[in-house]
Amino acid sequence: MAVSDTATMGTPSCTDPVALHEWYPISALVEITPGLVHRTQLLGGAISYTRTPGGSRPVVWPSGGEASGAEVDGLAVDHQLPVRVKFGYVWTTLGRPEHELFDIAECDEADRRIQNGGSIMVATSAPRAIENFLDMGHFPYVHTGILGAEPRTEVLEYDVEVTDEEILATRCLFFQPQAALSASDGQMTEYVYRVPHPYCVMLYKSVPTDASRMDVIALFCQPMTEERVRAHNFLCMVDAVNSDTALKRFQQLIFGQDKPILENQSPRRLPLDPRAETPIRADKSSISYRRWLSAKGLTYAVIPATAPSPTPAPTPAPTRSS
Amino acid sequence: MMKIYDYELSVNCYKQRLLLGILGVPYESIPVDFFPGWEHKGEAFAEINPLGHIPVIDDDGYILRDAQAILVYLALRYDPSGLWYPVTDPRVAGEVASWMAFAEGTTNTASAARLHDTLGYPFDIDTVRAGAQKLFRVLDDHVWFHEQQERPWVASAPHPTIADLALFPDVMLSEQGGISLLDYPALRRWTDRVKHIPGFTVMSGIFPAPAGAAPAGAAPGGATVGRPR
Amino acid sequence: MEPDPSTSWYPVARSDDLPLRHVFQGELLGRELAIWRADDGFVNVWENRCLHRGVRLSIGLNEGRELRCQYHGWRYANRTAGCTYIPAHPADAPARVICNVTFPAVERYGLVWTCDSPGGVAPGDGPPVLAALEAAAPLGLRNLPVNAEPSTVLDELAAYAFVPTGLLAQRTAHDRPVAGSATLGTEELGAEVSVTDRGHSWIELTARMGEAASRVVLFVQPVDSARSVVRGVLAGGADGADGADGAGVHSPERDQMAVLRHHHRELSRLRDAIEDRAARRPSPVPMTPRLQQVRLRPAESALEHDRRDGGRRTGLRVSVARRWDTADAIVAFELRQLDGLLPTPRPGAHIDVELPNGLVRQYSLVNGPGETDRYLIGVKREPASRGGSACLHDTVIVGDVLAISEPRNNFPLRRDSFRTILIAGGIGITPLLSMAQALHWSGHTYELHYFAQSAGHVAFTEILDSLGPDVTTHLGLDPSGTGSVLTRLLSDPEDGGHVYVCGPGPMLDATRNTATTAGWPDHAVHFEYFTNATEIDSSSSFEVELARSALTLPVPAGSSIMDVLRANGVAVASSCEQGACGTCLTAVIAGEPDHQDVYLNASERRAGDRMAICVSRSRSPRLVLDI
Repeated sequence: MAVSDTATMGTPSCTDPVALHEWYPISALVEITPGLVHRTQLLGGAISYTRTPGGSRPVVWPSGGEASGAEVDGLAVDHQLPVRVKFGYVWTTLGRPEHELFDIAECDEADRRIQNGGSIMVATSAPRAIENFLDMGHFPYVHTGILGAEPRTEVLEYDVEVTDEEILATRCLFFQPQAALSASDGQMTEYVYRVPHPYCVMLYKSVPTDASRMDVIALFCQPMTEERVRAHNFLCMVDAVNSDTALKRFQQLIFGQDKPILENQSPRRLPLDPRAETPIRADKSSISYRRWLSAKGLTYAVIPATAPSPTPAPTPAPTRSS
Repeated sequence: MMKIYDYELSVNCYKQRLLLGILGVPYESIPVDFFPGWEHKGEAFAEINPLGHIPVIDDDGYILRDAQAILVYLALRYDPSGLWYPVTDPRVAGEVASWMAFAEGTTNTASAARLHDTLGYPFDIDTVRAGAQKLFRVLDDHVWFHEQQERPWVASAPHPTIADLALFPDVMLSEQGGISLLDYPALRRWTDRVKHIPGFTVMSGIFPAPAGAAPAGAAPGGATVGRPR
Repeated sequence: MEPDPSTSWYPVARSDDLPLRHVFQGELLGRELAIWRADDGFVNVWENRCLHRGVRLSIGLNEGRELRCQYHGWRYANRTAGCTYIPAHPADAPARVICNVTFPAVERYGLVWTCDSPGGVAPGDGPPVLAALEAAAPLGLRNLPVNAEPSTVLDELAAYAFVPTGLLAQRTAHDRPVAGSATLGTEELGAEVSVTDRGHSWIELTARMGEAASRVVLFVQPVDSARSVVRGVLAGGADGADGADGAGVHSPERDQMAVLRHHHRELSRLRDAIEDRAARRPSPVPMTPRLQQVRLRPAESALEHDRRDGGRRTGLRVSVARRWDTADAIVAFELRQLDGLLPTPRPGAHIDVELPNGLVRQYSLVNGPGETDRYLIGVKREPASRGGSACLHDTVIVGDVLAISEPRNNFPLRRDSFRTILIAGGIGITPLLSMAQALHWSGHTYELHYFAQSAGHVAFTEILDSLGPDVTTHLGLDPSGTGSVLTRLLSDPEDGGHVYVCGPGPMLDATRNTATTAGWPDHAVHFEYFTNATEIDSSSSFEVELARSALTLPVPAGSSIMDVLRANGVAVASSCEQGACGTCLTAVIAGEPDHQDVYLNASERRAGDRMAICVSRSRSPRLVLDI
């Protein structure tokens, strides 16, 4: 079950233009020590990053021979990759994106608790992680007693809107015994899911103590390779009670429950042919997500659909052998 | 009340929660921002454990660190049956101590591989994985031969001991370090038996056993497992 | 030449690797397997992959009758691997095509054998029959994973050296160190070992020393291109009396451990050497077995019969394996398949039975979960019988062959309720018994109330007994007595609770009225008349014209376009049958589709030129499809 982590130099193995010309998160800004080399992987290639000494400017470049933890002067680095700082993360690209990063309006509200809930590596593809995040049906079985509990297992009909820019699933209702750390009793909880980026997804749900506002939890996926992802758990909460540590603990508890599921899925790359697996009506957002990736022409970390004929020809009358 | 400096995804913290749950001892979990905050490496935590490790327990002012040591303490202090650390039987006690030391090895290999693959710890992944495979072969052999003698647990007592709990999470979560249990069927059966111990609790990454029929031998006293035909 | 993997049998587990409620994780030829024994003893060998989202079934739960996937709780039946319940949609029965990939399984010599033949059809003669292992109870040795190519492992096993069993036992008996001693190896003992037989994946070795001799067969399980498991079986067991030369020495049973340890030590030593050599060779490319695609609904046997039989739906042939009087005037019939597997029964389902006199009658299945090797029905002799029940009672005997339909379910069971009340009157117990068993064995709370004339009229008491205290029988009540019990049972309508009732018409009406009066919403009260009459609302029917087939067919309410096409012998591909996968998308030439799928997006729906014929219907009276 060894995972291919062989890329040590900064040459990405990815040749998919859709994936190349996209922005990716590589680290929470606060977790980068100024003046020291940090290393990670993106699209199969090794990249290094640091912050300028004394300053907050992140610098990212394709890895050369430098070791993790070595001292480096960020200002003197050649071949710097484009960088954005948004939502508290450093984002970069190996291509030339024609678009800027998506926005999350709630992040501008003054009393928001914004933090990285943990950047956790998982032996699966980024789209498998996104699809799992969009899924409600697993709550009673994977997040038992927290996000769901038997026998209240029904996924009610919900709405999905798809545009070129994003997928929006609304009116998503599920019975939850403890939907958030600040919730005590079981209740029907309403979610909105949004996919504004092939490998990024967020959910909005009403704040248990203030129904007029929405907590935002997002999964920003850094595709290290096609079958290995670093998932950045982003939290943007309205919560005056719990400590940062408690909020992070709750998020890691939930993600930690998803992890063994994701690592036991086969194949690891997401199959885009709807007939490769068995979707049901509850999987509407996943069906839309797979079709949306297909329409974008994305091939990285997925198994592209082999253009099935949409209208099956009548099969010949069956004959009996033997 | 007993306090445990705790991190949800830590196997060593889970060992304590597991035993406390089985013994029915109430405790308060003090969350430590182990990741991404590295709080256990900070100055404030050095007051509690200068080694910068969790778990640490604070039992009414008595502070103790080290996963295996805490298991010993909790069993001797809170298990009136005396079965979880059966010191009155020198042979079994010796076996328990021996497998507790073995658990240091599985933590330093299998669980190290998991920290590398999950949180990015800078271990030599090939070395720790190979080390885990070597230990798992030994443990799988041992558990298989025990099964043939109708001994369901790692020590030769007819009931589980803290040695089972010390080893369980390292084995159970090894797949997160890229070590499949496919070659260790006796270990997979043994983890099923651990899951049926009354009072068993899960951590993130470990799912419970099915309700209903427990495999024979899961509860203290039972001892039947399959024999070759 | 390599043997054909689809017809070659390999051991993949030991029989005792499958203890109660365990799921064994195995692998053969690069394909992972989930292997589990059901409580009825049947060994299931399935592809280790839930076909919903590809999650390993070996992390799922063996509930004894069904295997439950850890991810979304989908349940799969023992033996058939058919999906019996999808918790996300409690009100819908899963499409019958949702079925995991199965492989054949045979137990022999304490090992579980299979072959790479998806579909579970056992080819050829089964696993090898070896004379050495037939003579006396053989002893299974410790299985040994070896990281080396299977063919190389087989060749290198020819060098395996061991001591005859009788000698080991003798030495143990004299308290000499044998097992675990590094100083007393095979060489020192001087046993002569030779290869005495071999097959494409096994080798038989005989060790001789003086008068003593023993035979071992070593089977090599090809796990992947560079991984193997050696599964040894010692002829004659631990007492060494394998008949090789009749010189076995009987020893106490405790010597079995010494024998097992001796072979494990010697095999491990050889394994280490094999692995050392393998590590110096370049690794072969891992095998890539083709993952089974979700099965498109192909030409099915039932449809074939439909066509040959002029459209009748009773396409399955079963034989009466057992019949018995289960209560006054009620006969139970156990029906077994003539070949292959019966379709997976689900709680509440019924079958059509074609009687010897030509009549067709519907009977509910009494089957519990995982009870997939037979159908069980109960038939009450109706005084006013027009020849249906009387014919079954009077003329059908054990061994008779009957034609039946696939199970259909107009009375599906939700399992998402904190309170489920099952109410049965008389022979109406049959569908409710299958529901009660499903709820019982999956740990849901429920109560079953069974109204019968007298104790002698209570059917299937052995099943009722197995359900325990959740069952209450109400005997000998008149209509008003029944009414007051019903009023009490239904007095406390619970949000999210459900009531299921089946029985004679008056009782059914009484139950529905009582429930309504008590405040139960209509949608929470489910009922079925014995006859399973499907009420068809003809006012909302439409016509579908098949442009390429020159056929025009009426689609009545309650039937999908797909149902109608299949009933008329037109084969159409499908998968989920819920409007989710797009497999059945069909071009629309004229007419206005009434889209009810979730596959097409808004603009595709507006375009109206394609539709999912499994669920979508027509707004226009006539629809022309490009079929």
